[in-house]
Amino acid sequence: MTSPVQPLGKISFSSRRKLLKLGLCGLGALALTAVPQVVTAQTANGSRTLTFNADDVGILNFALLLEELEAAFYAAVVKSGKISNPKELDYLRALGRHEAAHVVFLRQVLGNQVTFQTKDLRFNRQGLNAVLRDRDTILNTAVSLEDTGVHAYNGAGPKLTNPTYLLAAGSIVSVEGRHAAGVRALLGRPVTEPDSDRAVSDAELVDELNPFRGRAYDELYTPKQIVEIVGSLNLINNPIAGALVA
Amino acid sequence: MFDHLGNLGSQVRRITTAVQSLLLIITFVLLSFAIAPTKAAFAQTATLNPQQVVEYALTLEKLEADFYLRANNAIQTGRINNAPPIAQAALVSYGQDEQQHVTDLSAVLRSLGGNPDAVTIPASPVYTAILGRDPFANLPDLLLALQYVEDLGAAAYKGQVQNLLAANADTILAGALEIHTVEARHAAGIRFLRQTLLGADIRPWIRSESEVIYNEVRSGLPIPFENEAFDGFATEDEVLKLVGPILAASPQSTGPAAETNTMMGNVTQQDCPAGTTLQFISGGFACMF
Repeated sequence: MTSPVQPLGKISFSSRRKLLKLGLCGLGALALTAVPQVVTAQTANGSRTLTFNADDVGILNFALLLEELEAAFYAAVVKSGKISNPKELDYLRALGRHEAAHVVFLRQVLGNQVTFQTKDLRFNRQGLNAVLRDRDTILNTAVSLEDTGVHAYNGAGPKLTNPTYLLAAGSIVSVEGRHAAGVRALLGRPVTEPDSDRAVSDAELVDELNPFRGRAYDELYTPKQIVEIVGSLNLINNPIAGALVA
Repeated sequence: MFDHLGNLGSQVRRITTAVQSLLLIITFVLLSFAIAPTKAAFAQTATLNPQQVVEYALTLEKLEADFYLRANNAIQTGRINNAPPIAQAALVSYGQDEQQHVTDLSAVLRSLGGNPDAVTIPASPVYTAILGRDPFANLPDLLLALQYVEDLGAAAYKGQVQNLLAANADTILAGALEIHTVEARHAAGIRFLRQTLLGADIRPWIRSESEVIYNEVRSGLPIPFENEAFDGFATEDEVLKLVGPILAASPQSTGPAAETNTMMGNVTQQDCPAGTTLQFISGGFACMF
């Protein structure tokens, strides 16, 4: 039995020094030091409020939250034993490894600007069990998460000011797009997203962010729209706040 | 695979031996100028302004749309006669997406004061340059060529996001991002077809740099491109080096359209030394005595 956290330890970047360099000086265009720690609050149920500022650090922390959510989902999927098809299991394991690698990367990039730890996240057991019900539900939830991830990174792109962050986001988002396409293909669904699959309707799309619309495009969602989608999945109990998602 | 200089060499050998050495020198000098016109000024990564990015993207989209037209034609006419319905549907759908990108990028270019009709591809692009053989002869070759094309397309868009950010071209950056991941979805879909229909050892994501034709893994940037969870990018000059042989019109079909091709850097007779005549040949152009 593979432990769901095991893939994390297997991520092998060619050079840890490279990541260290990244954290220390690789992103010199933006001075990240001396940013005050985000004030955190404990809610009545003990779930820490996650606060995201409307800046590069807030965007990367927000991306980290989505990656944590995806990584936790795939780990739970593998552990559930509900996926028996070898090809499907191979895909889902790979996706879990990738999301875990994104988590490691973003935490390294953010360094002490990380505003929450993995242990601060309170996953909703009931909501998680619901999406782990059976193979179809699992795969369709994976599609929702991956499509949402694509729209989230795309929406964050023009808001980023650091060009290296933008390139890194681009490096990640196309992999999320490949994930979405791969799982869609497993389900016999089109690899691109028909308008009817979109969680955000045409009327709700922000015009300035979306010069193009339709199946041939992955529209840009705002962080607020992403929070609403993630909330509807009922997978996480932490309240989400801050200027980024207002 | 992209035997760019090799093709060039074989063409050049046909030309009279008396001027061969000089011709080669001129050709190579001008060819490198055409492929990377801003190389000297911007070192490793050429800085394109938003209009240049759109022109560059439109050229690639026109090429992709044309490639899918020919691919779907090869299937419909029975030249490729064993494409399962799942593959046929995918290729028709992806081709429509690329055509949509052409339509919409053309409108964007017009809004910037540019002329989409001046962004041309040859009447008969040299698609054999992709694999070194006809990619429309059988399904395995077609899908392999499409994998190379779509992966490169995604990498090409990724290579331009920093240029658009630097220019504060938010709307064009948004549009590029909207397309970028769709190219990645196409690439993943083609890869899925190769794995599922042909038993190829491939996945929707890139597991090895040997699966793509551009430089997937590179150092000097704080992004772990060697990890399969991170996709690489391709710069304009890298993409043009790969695409150049496809865009080089064959001698028979060389016409005014090819000569004004923006991918060749708008080379004109004025770029040739006195006493020579500009001619487009496979892989580039030459100033002929």
